[in-house]
Amino acid sequence: MIQKKICMVGAFGVGKTSLVARYVLSIFSDKYQTTVGVKIDKKVVQSRGAEVTLMLWDLAGEDALTTVKPAQLQGASGYILVVDGLRRQTLDVAIDLQRRVTEAIGAVPFVCVLNKTDVREAWEVQPADLEPLAAQRWTLIETSAKTGAGVEELFQTLTDAMMQEHNVTDSTTGAVAG
Amino acid sequence: MSTGPSAREPSSEQGANGDPAGYARLRELLVGPEQARLEALQRRLDDRQLRTEDLSQVIAEAIALRLRRDHALQLALNPLVEDAVRISVARDPSILANTLFPIIGAAVRKSVAHALRGLVESINQTLERSFSLESLKWRVEALRTGKSFGAIVLTHSLRYRVEQVFLIHRETGLLLQHAARADQIVQDSDLVSGMLTAIQDFVRDSFTGAGGQEVETIELGEFNLWVQHGPAATLAAVVSGTPPPELRTLLERTLEQIHSDFAAALSTFKGDTSVFAEAQPLLQGCLLGRGAQTAKRSRSFFIAAAVVVIALIAAGLFLVVRHQSRWDKLLLRLRSEPGIVLTSAEESWGSYRLTGLRDPLSADPEALIRASGVNPARVTAHWEPYVSLHAKFRAERQFRSEREALEQQVLRFPLNSAQLGNEQLIRLDDVEAHLVNLQEHAASTGQSFLLEVRGHTDPSGNEDKNASLSQARADAVVKALIDRGISREMLRIVAMGSREPVRRNAAAYLTDLNRRVSFRVIVEAEGAR
Repeated sequence: MIQKKICMVGAFGVGKTSLVARYVLSIFSDKYQTTVGVKIDKKVVQSRGAEVTLMLWDLAGEDALTTVKPAQLQGASGYILVVDGLRRQTLDVAIDLQRRVTEAIGAVPFVCVLNKTDVREAWEVQPADLEPLAAQRWTLIETSAKTGAGVEELFQTLTDAMMQEHNVTDSTTGAVAG
Repeated sequence: MSTGPSAREPSSEQGANGDPAGYARLRELLVGPEQARLEALQRRLDDRQLRTEDLSQVIAEAIALRLRRDHALQLALNPLVEDAVRISVARDPSILANTLFPIIGAAVRKSVAHALRGLVESINQTLERSFSLESLKWRVEALRTGKSFGAIVLTHSLRYRVEQVFLIHRETGLLLQHAARADQIVQDSDLVSGMLTAIQDFVRDSFTGAGGQEVETIELGEFNLWVQHGPAATLAAVVSGTPPPELRTLLERTLEQIHSDFAAALSTFKGDTSVFAEAQPLLQGCLLGRGAQTAKRSRSFFIAAAVVVIALIAAGLFLVVRHQSRWDKLLLRLRSEPGIVLTSAEESWGSYRLTGLRDPLSADPEALIRASGVNPARVTAHWEPYVSLHAKFRAERQFRSEREALEQQVLRFPLNSAQLGNEQLIRLDDVEAHLVNLQEHAASTGQSFLLEVRGHTDPSGNEDKNASLSQARADAVVKALIDRGISREMLRIVAMGSREPVRRNAAAYLTDLNRRVSFRVIVEAEGAR
């Protein structure tokens, strides 16, 4: 059985919690997020014939008062950057967060989520804003917490990316050991 | 050394034969090989790299040789080692901490165990003096298991139970292995494990700062969460009740064992938890403590025993108190009873002695004792008779004397007649006066009575005639009394005939006395007074 820790990060109010609420197993109330700063959920995904249990650390949203704590990122095999399409500023926060997470735990697979596609016409975030990110080989997925569009794809994409890393490092360590 | 000969070379060459090339050739022929060796030696001495290589080949042997000779090297290296350790700790304390982790627990335990041994021994001595079936059982167990008696006592005396054990990967918070009792309702242990790690982070970040202390105990009602931290993994045990300190030692040892058994798997952990299935027996070994049912049963047995003991004590107390209260009530009753004067009441070893004065008319003390519930066999009483001036007895005495006087009254009749003579009618006045007095006294003592008016004849004549004659005589007296205002209700006529002569077989002249009417007072409900 494979378990992976992943983190959900993003600016305050981008919809991290609602994005996953319907798709994960949770036994803790949302209160934990405001008190302890993190809520942990679980999601089982099939990837390349293996069952992967994702332990989803839903970190408190980043704002002027709350910053993501490096300790909570420790050991994550991947992460999800959440951006609110309605607010251009949340994309800047995500770009900054991506840099800081990479500093804290190194380069691990991640997916950048553009949330709230159900109100696409009102988006502040424009395709031109995303081009530089695509050029840096960011994986960008559009989702809607309201309709559920793209959520399963999000988990599947991230898990596949993590499992690729997993198998690569596995085979290299195997070679060294052999 | 190297410059000396080369500086003189040109002058000596020129001074010898003036052919430097020839000289050099000669010299090469004569000392060429030596010269080459000298130059090689020179290079080895000058070249730092080569010298280091040379030294590296012999340094271990050299140190070993020197160590055998004396301790100078240790002394010389001492400051060096101290400094090196200090620098290492200053640079990154975790390296030394991680290096020492597998042994530091053992070292601390050894030292603490040594300090505690004395204490445990003194406890052992104390316990050895108390001999009971249970301590005998524990002693056998101590012999069987090789543990100290004190440790066995601790394990049995404390009520606790390890309900669940989590083995958690420290960095990721992922659950490596989990063990729980069969009867436990287990929440999703993956999530619990993650959240536990998050809470640890939270506490560390919020209260102790980076690199501070770890959360080791969380108490929640009757549950304790005991957390043991290692460099790569954390062991968390959910314990109900009061866990003994030995449990902490067990957790420490288990975690050390896991670190040593799974060192490689822990350091290269990438999410595959299947290898840690082998740690399951170690975790199962931590599920210690008595089952809650056993504890409950023995507790309920204890409660039942306590209830029985309390009930017995209560019953005993109740009997003593009731006995005492009965005795006190009896004394109170005797003291308040008219015609009884209690002068002393002694109690010793369950038997009682009463002394006092008693008017013969007063209530029977024996009856009072029986009525009080005190066992009469245990009471010896001595009553000195006396006459009470209590109003009740005065009235009683007057009633008695009037009754006596009335019952002595006799009305006489001539032969074969039921006619009262004048002389007898005067006597009837006396009867009436006594009767009126008697009614008064009866009212004051609360008694009621009937007056039997009994007609008699002398033995002469036949029985039927005598019966009707005695009836007629009684009727005459009753009629006379009613005429004087006496209520008919309290009078009763009895025809005695000749059955009750004044004196049997007496002389003939005395038979006159038998022709009479006599009186008897019948007190109603006399016994119920």
